[in-house]
Parts: sequence; structure tokens; C-alpha cells
Amino acid sequence: MSASEAIVKSAIPGITWPALPPPEGAAMLAVQFQLEQSQWWSPEQLLEHQLRQLQTLLIHSYKTVPFYRERLLAAGFNPGNTLTAELFRNLPILYRRDIQTAGKLLLSTQLPPDHGKIYSGKTSGSTGRPIQYSGTELAQFWWRTMTLREHLWHQRDFAGKLAIIRVNVRSGEYENWGSPAATVFQTGGSVTLDIGTDLNIQLAWLKKHNPDYLLSYPSNVLALANACISKGIRLENLREVRTIGEALNPELRSACREAWGAPVTDTYSANEVGYIAFQCPGHEHYHIQSETMFVEILNDQGATCQPGETGRIVLTPLLNYAMPLIRYEIMDYAEAGTACPCGRGLPVIRRILGRQRNLIHLPDGSQHWPSTGYNNWMGIAPIEQIQLVQKSLHDVEARLVMPRPLTPDEQKRMVPILQKSLGYAFQISFSYHHELCRNASGKFEDFISEAGKNTSIHPDKNNSNSP
Amino acid sequence: MTSHPLLIPTSSIQSVAWPAMPGVNGALMLAVQYQLEKSQWWGSERLLDQQMKQLAHLLRHAGKMVPYYEQHFGALGIRAESITSYEDFRKLPILKREDIQTAAKELHARQLPREHGRIIEHHTSGSTGRPIAALGTELTQFFWNVFTLREHLWHRRDFGGKLASIRTTVDDATSPGWGPATDVAYKTGPCVMLNIRHDINFQLEWLQQENPEYILSHPSNLLAMARLSLAASVRLPNLKGIRTFGEPVTSEIRAACKEAWGVSVTDVYSSEELGYIALQCPEYEHYHIQSESVLVEILNDNDQPCKPGEIGRVVITTLHNFAMPLIRYEIMDYAEAGEPCPCGRGLPVIKRIMGRQRNLVTLPDGTRHWPSFPAESWAFIAPIRQIQLVQRDMDSIEARLVTIRTLDAKETAELIAVLQKHLGYPFRITFQYMEKIDRKANFKYEDFISEISSNS
Repeated sequence: MSASEAIVKSAIPGITWPALPPPEGAAMLAVQFQLEQSQWWSPEQLLEHQLRQLQTLLIHSYKTVPFYRERLLAAGFNPGNTLTAELFRNLPILYRRDIQTAGKLLLSTQLPPDHGKIYSGKTSGSTGRPIQYSGTELAQFWWRTMTLREHLWHQRDFAGKLAIIRVNVRSGEYENWGSPAATVFQTGGSVTLDIGTDLNIQLAWLKKHNPDYLLSYPSNVLALANACISKGIRLENLREVRTIGEALNPELRSACREAWGAPVTDTYSANEVGYIAFQCPGHEHYHIQSETMFVEILNDQGATCQPGETGRIVLTPLLNYAMPLIRYEIMDYAEAGTACPCGRGLPVIRRILGRQRNLIHLPDGSQHWPSTGYNNWMGIAPIEQIQLVQKSLHDVEARLVMPRPLTPDEQKRMVPILQKSLGYAFQISFSYHHELCRNASGKFEDFISEAGKNTSIHPDKNNSNSP
Repeated sequence: MTSHPLLIPTSSIQSVAWPAMPGVNGALMLAVQYQLEKSQWWGSERLLDQQMKQLAHLLRHAGKMVPYYEQHFGALGIRAESITSYEDFRKLPILKREDIQTAAKELHARQLPREHGRIIEHHTSGSTGRPIAALGTELTQFFWNVFTLREHLWHRRDFGGKLASIRTTVDDATSPGWGPATDVAYKTGPCVMLNIRHDINFQLEWLQQENPEYILSHPSNLLAMARLSLAASVRLPNLKGIRTFGEPVTSEIRAACKEAWGVSVTDVYSSEELGYIALQCPEYEHYHIQSESVLVEILNDNDQPCKPGEIGRVVITTLHNFAMPLIRYEIMDYAEAGEPCPCGRGLPVIKRIMGRQRNLVTLPDGTRHWPSFPAESWAFIAPIRQIQLVQRDMDSIEARLVTIRTLDAKETAELIAVLQKHLGYPFRITFQYMEKIDRKANFKYEDFISEISSNS
């Protein structure tokens, strides 16, 4: 049964259809009802509504976020005037290092109470430049709601079994898919596995559970698919592979088709901003999620890229009032697309050039997708950017961009954290750089392995809310 | 695809205007609309399957909690739990209007889930002048609003417009919104209301003053006004659409509204005791059964489902009314079954509905209006089973009654007073006792017949 025939959970005894869901489920479907309509609006209609929402966000930022007051005034923003696209595009770009420097000045001093509690997190992003971010309960509601849209777009059969291999999960077996799908719909079960698990164990686990859907990181999926092809392992029930968190190579799609006969559906998101774009239900390119995110793709002159042009991605999340990010350069590159033949007015991204990550090789011969433990070491020293390079089965080089070298004490504290995250007591050496560059394909590799034949990958840009 | 391209609900969070975050009740309303947007495209088998699942809950409740069904199911050896297929369901007996009149409180549930809310009582004479009292709940009222909103969305109404409602049970008044069905989720233009007892000349003047985008009224009232409008060359420049209910819409009415005001008529088929039964298709003049709320059967004389093109009796089961479940209830309307709709909706099609028809009443001063004589005003005076009024001339009315016994002097006096009050003039009223009152040859039942020449 596809998602359009899925039965909604009801909170009222005796009434199963049409269902009367409990408040969170009703709120999500009330938004889906709107998203079903707005996806077909023209780009002009979408822009008009985005500008209204942006104006509200800018006024809030001007009034309550110390970082923005002077900055917005200097750029010609006047809270009394109607915001135009031209005016908005004149506002200065917010760089990752600005966020690193601004600290608490980026937080609202007066959050509207209906946005709920504030939560904080840390992320390395696509280029190994760690930042701290804050969001609200409301922003998390939107994260879940957009996750649900992605399920609905791809017509998933909620009765199927979902397998998730990623960071921030405990290995386990669950009765349903968890939030948000199970908040609204009756779903089948789900199973989760930590991404740090050795590939062969992952493979055995997948064979055992034989899921309908698999969610993981592209480079991990590629390694799994290649292993299945070489060992002749089929996953009979697998209908679709969902990928998150890394730039997707075209070879992944063909590997998944060859290994399991399953298509790949990718999403583009980041912890600090939420969903940016979803793969089109009918094509391999992406639709910007304009209802929650204002996305610009800018060329070297700062002008909007034409279809076919590749440029820097600059984001403004429309609904995060705790730590507004206005024209935030996330450090990914993307190619602007032409209007989609599917008819959706949501703008198209043809390709995303983001982060790529290699698998790590341990001396016992096992390999897994490495987690780099930003959450644990970020407060230790003023590190602006990091890249880890596995030089051999026992050695890892940590390349750092920072205003000064680490002190011996900082080094002493960093090393065990890195060793724990990587899953082995590697010999860790530090080197210092002005800048860490992207590879020839435009992707930033935050974990490079020179220790063996490897498959490439990209990291933990996703939110733990989103199976 | 979309119901209205740029319709944005009201947000309960000031700083988030779009996409809106409606309040709890608005979210629930839109959550159901979301489901209806999907289910309207399901195939007929899928719809029936889902109806049977919902019906299973209702039947179990009826078998346990409603004395009438407890007895009838028991006597027939039927266990509610064993009714799982449509075939099983169709073996249940038909519930006639007179059964409801006889059973009275035996049809009321002894108990119902508290989440269904307060009980609401309705009185209705239905399409054939046979009064019944029916119970609903706050939940059935919610579903009423759900289908009201679906109807607006189907017909892509501009919520910014002004709605003029000319009907019974309203006072002459203005309200800031169109009503609870829309207001819970959207900001709308105002609704201006006029009681239908006003002379139609007055109604037309009022409409000219109000200059609304939409009019809601009874078909025969609109026909009279459209004709008057044509004769007097009255235009309603803002008018975008007309909504009708309560009587069959003829092609003559559609043509008159088009000619007089250049707008189309959109009809709904509903009843107080059942809620919405069918809505006019957004693209055609026939109707789609509201399968998410009612299970509708159209049965021929052998109690078999009518084929497309056949006319039969309408038999309805409400899916959500746990206060007074109506299971296979024969509403006393006739309908023609339709072919599947080219619009693609799987909701079954009714081509034509033959329900109640009503003439206007003419008063001795020459004014005319749509006569209202609501059941709750007269049904309790005496055991009246059916009523039909015939205006013989300018000042006399014949009241044809089917009763268990002849009315006594006090009852007669009381009934006369009530009818005079509701018809708006002290008519001379005579009574005619009948065994039964038949329909016209076209299956329609006339509950108010005027023999005054300007009217028919």
C-alpha cells in the first residue's frame, strides 16, 4: 500500500476512517495539506511568500539578535519597509567563521514563547569547520514534518520494514518507524545499527532483517552494495535505498541497482539548518524545500547562478528564531537546474557537491564509516577546520586550521577523544594549515584514507530526528 | 491536485505565517482534509473496504449499546462482529422512517465514547413530510463541518468574498466569517444572512445592496429570484457562484441563474439527520457520494443495487454517528445511479436526486416566499406521521395529514396556530386525513404545493 493509501492513526475510539489524529499528528497533516498545494505554486508565488516570512524573520533578528542589528541597518534594511528580493540579496553573507566568532551574539535575546524550548548542537558541516548551533522545538517540528513530506513524495509503503545505519543511534529493533512516520501512520517495524559497525557485520545484519527500506550514508551504502555484488548476496525485500549526509556519486545508483535492484533516493540536509532539498519523486535531481528554506546558489561575483552553472550555496532557514542564520554560506557547491518537468514549482538543484568521507581501515582488517567526534572535542581548542588522513593502519594525521598550534595539554586531551571516535588507538599526529581544500571533483573530504583501497563517503549532516 | 492554489490557513503562531501552523481544531480539520484529498482518488473497492472497516466499529457499538439494534440483531440471529463483508452487511434489514418514528428512544445509544462529545438533537421532516427526531454528537457536527469545507475546496471558492445566505433557521444578521467549517482554519470574508420567509422582492433588493460573491439558498427560492432579476434587469456584479441545498436542482434553475447572473449553480445533497450525502462534482453537474462519511445504496424494487441509469430508493448508513446509529436507513428519496466519473474520483456517482420539492407561498398582499414549517414546531403537537400543505387560494391552505388518530380540538387549534405563524399569514386551514401521501410521477415529493397560477 503506497503512502497515498496509508491509514492515519486515530485518537478517537470507534473512529478509524477518516482518522482524527492526536494534536502532533494533526499538526503535521495540516502542514502536509498545505505543502501538497504549495509544491505546485509557481517560483514567483513561492518567492512572494518566502519574502513575507523572511521579513518577519529579519524584523525579529533586527530586534532581538545582537549580531544582526548593526549589520542589517548597514545593509539598508528598514523594518518598516516591505522586503524585496533585491534588498535581501544585498545583505552580507554569513560565513562559517563568523558563526565561530560571533558565539552567543547570534542567539535571540527574546524568543517568541510559542517557538518552544531551545536546543543546541555542534556540527562539523561539509568542510570540517565545526560550529555550534541552536534551534527550537518549533524548528524540530518542521524537521519532522519535512521528513514526512519526503516519505510521502516517494510513496513509501509504511507497512514495510525500515533499516537505519547511521550515527547517533543505538542498535535496536523497534515496533515502528518512530517519529514522524509512526506519529501519523500505522507503520511496520524498524531496526537500527550504529554506523561504526564493521561492514561484514552490517551485511549479516541486513541479511537477517531483510528490510524493505535502507537508510544510510552514500559511502557506506556503496561499500555494502559492492560487497553484496562480489559475494552474490541479495536483499530480496529491499525496495529503495535512502541516503543522507554526503554528496552522492552517480556510481552509487548503478551499484544499488546492480546489487539489489533498488533505486536510491537522496536528501540534502544539514544539522544546523534542517532540510535543504529532496530528490524529486520522478527524477534524480533535487527540489529545494522553499517552504522552510530560502536557498541561493551564487557564482563568484555573488550573482545568482543560471541553470547549468555551479556556485556556492547560501541558506536562510525561514523558521529558526533562536539562532537566525541569514544568508549563511554552508560551504557546499551546487549546480542550478532548470524547471522540473514534474510540474513542481520548487526550484531545482541538479547536483550537490558537498562532503565526502572514506571508510576507515582498522588493523584487524575490518572497515567502517568513521565518526570524528566533534561533539566531544570542539570546546577544547579554537579549531576552525579539520581534516583527518589515515596514513597507515596505525597512523592518522589531523590537519588543522587554527589561529595558533595546540598546546601540549590540548593535544593530550584531543588524542584519546579522536582515538575513541575512530574505534582504535591510532598514533595521532597534528599538522597546521592556512586552508584545507576540496578535491578535484569539488567535494571536501573530511576523512581521507591512504591505508588501503577505499570507497568514498561524506558525514553526519543529518539530524537524529529523521529516520 | 490542488484544491485552491493560494489558500493559506490562519496560523496560530504569529511569527510563522506560512506554511501556517493552525490551532488544535484547525489542524484537526486540515488533517482530515488531507486524508480526503487522497481518498477521493481511491478506487471503489478500496473505498468500500475502508467503509466496512469503519462500519465494523459502528455495528459492534450498535449491537451492544443501542436497544433497537440489540433486539433486532438478536431476533434475526445476527452478531454484529460477524458482519465483515458488504454481502453480510446487505442482509441487514432496511430501517424505514416509520421505524424511527416508532422506535424513538430505542434507537438512542445507552452510552457512547466520551470523546464523541455532547449529544445534539435534530428534528426534521425530511423529504416527505414525515417528522423524526435524530441525535448526533459533537463529533458528527465536526464531520459536518469537514464536508462543508471539502465542498468549498472542491469548488475553489475565493474565501475573501462575501457570502449571502438566505435560508431557514437564520436571523437577519452579519457575521465576520462564513461559519465554523471555514473559520476554524481560514480567514474569510463576511457572511450576511436573511431569513427565507422574506418576500422575494425584498430578498432581491437586499442582494443588490449586499452585492455578494456567493449566494446560498434553496433552489425554488433562487429560481423565483432569478426570474424576477431577469424581468427587472437586476445584475449582481460581484457574484461568482451559487450554492443550493435542500431541494432538487433542475436544469431550469441552472439555466435561469446563468441567464440572470452569469454564474453556475453548485448543489449539495444533505440531510440534517445524516449530514452530507453527496456533493456536486467540481467538474460535472452530477454528484459524488461522500463515502468517507456515509455508505449509500441505491436499491431497485427487488432491493438490488441499481445499475448506472437505473432509478432506485436511497438507503444510507452513517459511519460516525454513535449516538443514534442509522443503519440501512431509507431516507425516502429516489436517485439515479451514475457511471464512474471522468474526473477520476473514485467516489461513486449519483446522476440525479429526486427529493423534496416545494412551491413558494403567496400571501394576500401579493408577496411570495419559500414556506418554512420546521418539524420541531409541529411534530410534538400530535402523532403526525406525514404532512403535506396545499395552498388552494390566497387565503386558504389544506393540510393533508397521515396520523395514528384524528387530532382533538386542542391539537387542531395548536397546529393551526403554528402553521399560521410559520407561513406568515392567518390562513384558513382545513385538515384532510390520508392513508398515505404519494409522490409525483417524477418521484419528487412536494411538501408544499401551491395551486395559485403564478407559482407552479
